[in-house]
Amino acid sequence: MTIVLDSSPTNVVEALRGDRSKRPLIDIASASGLRSLLEDGIYEVVGAQRLDPPLVIRTSSLQQRFATTDLSLSSIGRIRGVLITQLLRLLSVGMLIDDPFNDALTAWRAQVTTNELIDQLDRLDGDERARLATDLDAHYVTLTRALGEIPSRWMPRSCVRSIQRLSGGNVVLRDAIDLMIGTPTSEVASIALFDVTTSPLGEGAERSMRYHALMQTLRSSVMPLRTCTFSSATGEIWIRDVDYELLARSVDDVLACVREQWTAR
Amino acid sequence: MTLLHRRLTRDGLNQLIATSPTDATVLRDEHRASLSARFRAVVAPGHRRLDAWGVERAGRGGDEFRWSPATARRAIGNASLRRAATQPLTIRDAVRDELGDQMLRAASGYSRSGSLAHWLASAPHPVIGLVTAEAVNWATQLHEVATWLDAPWTIPASDAYYDVAAARTTLRARRDLVVRRDDARVVLRVRSGSPGKSAGPGLRADLTVEALADHDGVAPVRFIGLWPEAGVCLSVDGTMTDLRSGARDLVRTAVAQRRRGTLLAA
Repeated sequence: MTIVLDSSPTNVVEALRGDRSKRPLIDIASASGLRSLLEDGIYEVVGAQRLDPPLVIRTSSLQQRFATTDLSLSSIGRIRGVLITQLLRLLSVGMLIDDPFNDALTAWRAQVTTNELIDQLDRLDGDERARLATDLDAHYVTLTRALGEIPSRWMPRSCVRSIQRLSGGNVVLRDAIDLMIGTPTSEVASIALFDVTTSPLGEGAERSMRYHALMQTLRSSVMPLRTCTFSSATGEIWIRDVDYELLARSVDDVLACVREQWTAR
Repeated sequence: MTLLHRRLTRDGLNQLIATSPTDATVLRDEHRASLSARFRAVVAPGHRRLDAWGVERAGRGGDEFRWSPATARRAIGNASLRRAATQPLTIRDAVRDELGDQMLRAASGYSRSGSLAHWLASAPHPVIGLVTAEAVNWATQLHEVATWLDAPWTIPASDAYYDVAAARTTLRARRDLVVRRDDARVVLRVRSGSPGKSAGPGLRADLTVEALADHDGVAPVRFIGLWPEAGVCLSVDGTMTDLRSGARDLVRTAVAQRRRGTLLAA
């Protein structure tokens, strides 16, 4: 089921959690089947040879299957994406944010000493920096209006990383989920995955949602309840219930990406 | 070496604990004396500190340590979960209380320069927010693992440290959960990322230091490394063979460090 709302709901977190009485029991049986599908599919492409370096699949690998221009992949777009993720992390623990741009930048600098994006940010002139700050403010307002307060009893975690080595390390799947709520230790499915993007939602966003759900299933062996992606550019949100069909489609996405990377070698 | 590999699931983890050996190996004074002699033979210019990370990197030094949200998360996260286990607090509230205590320690002059409390006290507001987010992630992850356990568990107040007599060497083992199984103990350690080829030697080093740090030299019956990001766990048994291998790896790391130091000096 895909829910497309023309305006942001009053509280995205409430929408993600839904009605507890209607949640299915946790599914701990599907993960091994999905892993087998991936292993078999990769073997058909790569065979038994050892790859060095391995093929690495990330969310960004699934975003662009064809050569098109995506503004979110420009350096300013990527910087804005990193900064909005930092703000989401601060919001997830209930921090008060006075100055979105400077607070996000301070948090980012505390995490990494230097990288290519920070160097690019440092090279921006005053006007470009001010434009980026204003842009980020707008995205932040959209995000906070939609997100609402995240209760701590729902165990929110931000920037949850996962890594899966398949086919003896020939293929490495990497992922970072912007926000995760719920726990895999519950009797009923309760994990909801939230991804924020600063670009409008497109086909790539759908693949990312599926990929997050697949990675979480492989990592914890527990199928999540829902996966969602939110655009802080448009306020649009897509929410999908996670089922085996959705995860199997993500396996197909990953195998298609493996085939592309293998052909390009 | 008794290295076992499992998926990190409730059943997998409980099975690893339930099937651990029943008899614990004990290190005696002659073992300690032998280790001390070996470390004394590897002369170091200053005080030497060795841990599993050093063993895994074959003695190669990394970047100079600095506090950051990522390096602070384990200390704050473990302390917060210990707090949440004894008080009716959510994990986020426990992390906030722990951060508050740390900053209070710095404000009242009970922290030394370079300590976590000192760094937190001077960190800007958004950095404290990020430390909170990282510590909440760590504590929640550890809480999930602890919730799965059938046997009683505790969170140790500190890592295991052992000063090798007359060898100017301190050994350190990370430990995040200690599970009691009758009279024996199983130790769990959580790591980020995924296990590499040297994860086994790293675990054995931790196992050996944990045994040395025990007052009576009793080794854990099993030492389990958890990699939640990869969803896997590895374990080594506390046998004398594994303890000896762990000690050998630590001495080799000291030798590798000295060789590197000599090369740099040349």
